[in-house]
Amino acid sequence: MRRAFNGQPLLWLLSPAALLLAWALAANSGAFPVQLLVPPQAVYHSFTELLVSGELREHLVASLSRLGLGFGIGAVAGMAFGTAMALSRNVEAFCGPLFHCVRQIPSIALIPMFILFFGVDDVFKVLIVTKAAFFPVALAACEGVRAIPRAYFEVASLYRLPLRSLLTEVALPAAAPTLLTGLRIGLSRAWMVLVATELLAGDIGLGQLIEMSRQMLRIDLVMVGVLLIGLIGFCLEGGFHLLEKRLLRWKPL
Amino acid sequence: MTAIAPPIPPLALDTPGALSIRGLNKHYPIDGRRLPVLQHIDLQVQPGEFIAIVGASGCGKSTLLRLIAGLETDYEGQMQLDGKPIRGPSLDRGMVFQDHRLFPWKTVFDNIALALKHSRLDKAHVAARVNEHIALVGLQGFEHAYPHQLSGGMAQRAAIARALITQPKLLLLDEPFGALDALTRVRMQQELQRLWIQQRSTMIMVTHDVEEALYLGDRVIVLEPRPGRIRHVIEVGLAHPRERNAARLQSLRQEILGQLLSQAGH
Repeated sequence: MRRAFNGQPLLWLLSPAALLLAWALAANSGAFPVQLLVPPQAVYHSFTELLVSGELREHLVASLSRLGLGFGIGAVAGMAFGTAMALSRNVEAFCGPLFHCVRQIPSIALIPMFILFFGVDDVFKVLIVTKAAFFPVALAACEGVRAIPRAYFEVASLYRLPLRSLLTEVALPAAAPTLLTGLRIGLSRAWMVLVATELLAGDIGLGQLIEMSRQMLRIDLVMVGVLLIGLIGFCLEGGFHLLEKRLLRWKPL
Repeated sequence: MTAIAPPIPPLALDTPGALSIRGLNKHYPIDGRRLPVLQHIDLQVQPGEFIAIVGASGCGKSTLLRLIAGLETDYEGQMQLDGKPIRGPSLDRGMVFQDHRLFPWKTVFDNIALALKHSRLDKAHVAARVNEHIALVGLQGFEHAYPHQLSGGMAQRAAIARALITQPKLLLLDEPFGALDALTRVRMQQELQRLWIQQRSTMIMVTHDVEEALYLGDRVIVLEPRPGRIRHVIEVGLAHPRERNAARLQSLRQEILGQLLSQAGH
């Protein structure tokens, strides 16, 4: 399977093309009301309109900056907390159970409470995204640091490695594979939960574009939003995969 | 690689490398009790001497090396290198393990260069010294290979280069060729002998291969297990480089194997 895929780099285009074709045929067949099952060409038309008017750009900037801010804070805090939990028995003893308990609460279950505390504006959305990113990253950092073989530290101590080298040249690369996986999962979850917060409340953002369009029964615009969300998520994850591949090129295949 | 190599400053002082161990005892705490691993070890190693330690598994031979390396600091007795007590790892003692222990994310060059981080040399000197040691172990052309791209023997060559680059007075080898195939092992033994003749630093090698011990060692120390004690010290008394099937090595081999087997008997 993998071989065939590698040999034919454009093969993946087949399934989206087939889906698009099926959609176009169904929508243009007249069997469904056009207002509900909008044909692809109409969706594309609406997309270009949104693009030209600059409205789409506003939604994108709003969503992506919330994502960047929330994911950034969550990832940094997650790495710090996860590392602390891996290195210190005290941190693990005091915070471990709480951490593993809160980790089980789906981010969307916190939305109502967070709205009450922080209102419906950006603060609440960024905080929910932060929460969504924090836990997978913290967990990965903790497990990544814990799994560093003791043998590596022995070698480092034999050569009296300075602390800075020990951290950046030994500990960080050793934990990197696990950590990067955690970051990728965190990013993907952050993106999904962000859209959910935008659907519920707010004035701008891709989620809000969908919700407002639904209220106006503009299914074409709903579909623009839905498709863009999928596409952006795909690009984020794909970009991260490339980054992982580049950073972990030392790994045997 | 470079056309004009800069002069390489010496790292360690060229002091001899005499190891003195007196009355060494080592215990491990197991279930609240003290399990003796090494008992009354006395050993005087001359500068430039090659000591081979053989013994059944569980005789504490690796523990002895780890103690000399300073990786374990909890012991009773005295251990001194050139009169200085051993309290922890130091650059004047190098170590090679059975697994090469190269960092998989670093190339051969960077793995070897890492050993020089502590001495804070400038880049040109580091490069010159690393290249010199890559040539010393015959790894030219593999400077930029990652460890997983190397064969077991090549990875161990890189590990030896890393251990030698700090110019340790004493090199400790913990079954360095134990994981290699028979042919590679013989080749690596010859290489190590060549390096030792060239470098003249003191070497202590732990092995379970009696032939290897006799081929390389000036003295072969036979340890007895549970707790680890020195049972016998054998002066090989042949000049290096040696003929692998010299008659004296053959007869000593029978003698040592006999001792090891009689241990296993009881």
